[in-house]
Amino acid sequence: MTPRATFRKINMDNVILKVSDLKTYFFTSRGIVKAVDGVEFELRRGECLCLVGESGCGKTVTALSILRLFDSPPGKIVGGQIRYDSLDLAECSTRQLRQIRGKDIAIVFQEAQSALNPVLTIGDQIIEQIKLHLPLDYGRARDRAITLLSEMGIPSAEGAMSYYPHQLSGGMKQRVLIAMSLSCDPQILIADEPTTAVDVTIKAQILDIFRELKTRRQMSTIFITHDLAVVAEIGDRAVVMYGGKDVETAPVSEIISNPKHPYTSGLIECLPDVSKNTDRLASIPGTTPNPLEMPQGCAFHPRCPKAMKICKQQEPSEIIISKEHKVSCHLYT
Amino acid sequence: MKNKLNNKLLQIRNLKKYYPVTAGFFSRHIGDIKAVDGVTFDISEREIIGLVGESGCGKSTLGKTIPRLEEPTSGQILYKRSDVTKLDKKGLGELRREIQIIFQDPDASLDPRMTVGDSICEPLIVHNIGNEKKRMERVAELMEQVGLEARQANMYPHEFSGGQKQRIGIARALAMNPKLIIADEPVSALDVSIQAQILNLMMDIQERLGLAYLFIAHDLAVIKHMAHRVAIMYLGKIVELADKKEIFENPLHPYTEALLSAVPSFKPKDKDRILLRGDVPSPLNPPPGCHFHPRCHRILPICNQQEPELAEVSKGHFVACHLYR
Amino acid sequence: MNKRLRDIIRKARPHWRLNGRLINYYWQRTKRNKLAVFGLGFIIFLVLLAAIGPFFTPDPTAVNFEEKNIPPLGFTIEQSIYNIETNDFTTKEIHGSRSHPLGTDSTGRDMLAMIVSGARVSLLVGLIATGIAIILGTIIGVLSAYTGGWVDNALMRFTDVMMTFPFFLLLVLMVFIFGPSLPLIVLVIGLTGWTGTARLIRSESLSLRTREFVVAAKALGASDNRVIFRHLIPNVISLIIVMATLSIPGVIIAEAALSFIGLYDPIVISWGKILESGQHSLDTAWWVAVEPGIILFLTVLAFNFLGDGLRDAFDPKSNI
Repeated sequence: MTPRATFRKINMDNVILKVSDLKTYFFTSRGIVKAVDGVEFELRRGECLCLVGESGCGKTVTALSILRLFDSPPGKIVGGQIRYDSLDLAECSTRQLRQIRGKDIAIVFQEAQSALNPVLTIGDQIIEQIKLHLPLDYGRARDRAITLLSEMGIPSAEGAMSYYPHQLSGGMKQRVLIAMSLSCDPQILIADEPTTAVDVTIKAQILDIFRELKTRRQMSTIFITHDLAVVAEIGDRAVVMYGGKDVETAPVSEIISNPKHPYTSGLIECLPDVSKNTDRLASIPGTTPNPLEMPQGCAFHPRCPKAMKICKQQEPSEIIISKEHKVSCHLYT
Repeated sequence: MKNKLNNKLLQIRNLKKYYPVTAGFFSRHIGDIKAVDGVTFDISEREIIGLVGESGCGKSTLGKTIPRLEEPTSGQILYKRSDVTKLDKKGLGELRREIQIIFQDPDASLDPRMTVGDSICEPLIVHNIGNEKKRMERVAELMEQVGLEARQANMYPHEFSGGQKQRIGIARALAMNPKLIIADEPVSALDVSIQAQILNLMMDIQERLGLAYLFIAHDLAVIKHMAHRVAIMYLGKIVELADKKEIFENPLHPYTEALLSAVPSFKPKDKDRILLRGDVPSPLNPPPGCHFHPRCHRILPICNQQEPELAEVSKGHFVACHLYR
Repeated sequence: MNKRLRDIIRKARPHWRLNGRLINYYWQRTKRNKLAVFGLGFIIFLVLLAAIGPFFTPDPTAVNFEEKNIPPLGFTIEQSIYNIETNDFTTKEIHGSRSHPLGTDSTGRDMLAMIVSGARVSLLVGLIATGIAIILGTIIGVLSAYTGGWVDNALMRFTDVMMTFPFFLLLVLMVFIFGPSLPLIVLVIGLTGWTGTARLIRSESLSLRTREFVVAAKALGASDNRVIFRHLIPNVISLIIVMATLSIPGVIIAEAALSFIGLYDPIVISWGKILESGQHSLDTAWWVAVEPGIILFLTVLAFNFLGDGLRDAFDPKSNI
């Protein structure tokens, strides 16, 4: 075998989660909301994969779909596969899913205040999670919780165990949430916009925690954000989403320096960046599409500066630019 | 952005806003939340001042106290040389024509039961300007100015997107031809691509109408594009105030340095990121001496004993820090 | 009226261009709830019944002992009649007939007529008593929330006292003093039923006061009056509508319950009174108790469904 082939094979073996053509629709009384409409990506061991996009693009629903955490009467996975271990998470039973939730795949939500139960101490909440999955007695579970809290940088962790969520600041709560998600040593951590609702200095601290997780624990992470600057700081590869589909996938350095999809380059340009010196900000005209009234053809065409006639008629298929870089855009067919 | 010798529009001198905290059955006064604790700065005509700070630093309170939506505890607010704190109802009404506010949450700042046209022309009705017909014309004019169509005036807020609602808020603020607009985190709740649109709109309007802005934000990157001068706030006090260029290229206060280095960016950092320890302390019980000292990476022995004063270190560059005495 | 007063009123006067589009928007949302639509349909039916029913039914007070205890249409019952001559009971089969589709009671009054007449009473009682309670509750709630301070404190303590007041005792006392009459009953129910509304309206007003659009209104110079009438109240009206719709069934039941225990106006026929009269003959003429029971049940259900549907329609966060 040639070295290159070996390398490719090793990479493939490294895939820990593979999402293929995932479709999650919400059947509401006003019509069908195609929140996720054919999303495809893979998560490799030890990497930080970023799902990037603005509100309404389907990135949160994608993450919720992996653990099937959305409300099931309106929402349903109507197609595709989510392959983890030997299971297809889109099809497996709820019992199997419950064993995976929290233990193999953990999720950290955005609003730290709503994700924590206000009438339980944080110690109780962490211990509850631990005892759900690990066969530890109360004392050992408690010790484990304290270790986790101090690892997250919470001062006097033992005393902090008896705090209620409202006694903690926003940054602290986010750290408690991350500690909770790590309590059962998951293989995959899904973080849904953990830095969006916090101040800049706390954002830096939290990003630091995620960096540590990658180096010290080799944690495979799916990091959801709308902030490309965060992606640049912490991501290895990025999947840019728009209108429920993935429009560009590439390593982060590629995406930043050589974006192919007009939406990606638009996003990069309109970021107010401290290191840039322009007077006027570039912007993307128009607004994100109403999920009940998606445009025909390519969902981005009404706002695309390079839209062609075919973009209004036909959805673009995926083009492979290089081994690690794929785009869905008619510009490259 | 030339700094012409513009007239001073707003002069704030040692403004304080305390919220008393009571406890016990007889509501004993046990302390104060010092939301704004002695703030002094000026805004000139046509100037954009960026006010930056993290949550809890008092910037929103400051924004609300200036037009007396919150009553100041002490200090002076001079608008065009008349003391705002001493205005009577009539004077306050006239002040409200010249100082307007744009709010953060576009969903919450519009009355859901009023058409957007009614919302925009409400200031005109309140101040008895024009008649029905003239008001309709003005509403149409304002909507076009902010990039919406006049025929949308009869629609309700829920029929618009977040960015459009924020435009309506801006139109409402412009209705009275104000001189100063206090923008309280106007783009924080919007998507990135929409943020850029709204910021561009605000800059256009500022140039065209010759407005002054007090632009409150927690995001330094946004400030960099908009502001002429920048003030950094921490726990109710201004810790640094300078021209934009100075702040970004030559930050003096350790907190400013930390803020700048904390912003995620594309360029790799030359020096190590400064990570502040701990969290923002509670405004009920600020640390003694310099409020920032527990988290400061360049602390001196004097810092936990004496509060530093805001002093001019170089031309137009003010810092409140013992490092520069 | 002097000029200043006129100015105040003019500024505060709600320009409620009840825009059809806003109403249509909420109506669309309500329509999607099938139960609410059923509720509304039933209520409309009831209103029609009460309004024009009396023209099509016989006199409910017409007593006719020849035709007593006739079962409803389609039912048959065996009656034992004491025959004086033979000194014995003879059983006779009586069938329901079309002349009395819902049967008759023990004095021969037509059940359908009585129920139709009762519909009128129940609806009127429901609407008027609820109206009194809601208006009183709203005024107290809004006043309390907006003035704050000692006024708020005083009003809320007064509300607490009224809440614990045994309205039943008050009613008995009133009846004892003034004699039983429907207007009195309505008044007492109304005057004691406002407390829940007051509390809810007050808490909603308090939270609205800090909502940004209210602050925005103040920021552009609106007077307190204008803020209350133009901003607070229209946003509270949806709550009021929901509360009213959900209070009506409680009031109707209250009146029925009072009649059931005997506190009724003897001149008036109400469903509760029919129920009361039917409780003794459950074995011989069960329909006298069951029919008013059924229609009471359906009415309460209808108002509750409609109220729930309206509440969901008005709530911006519920995704309908």
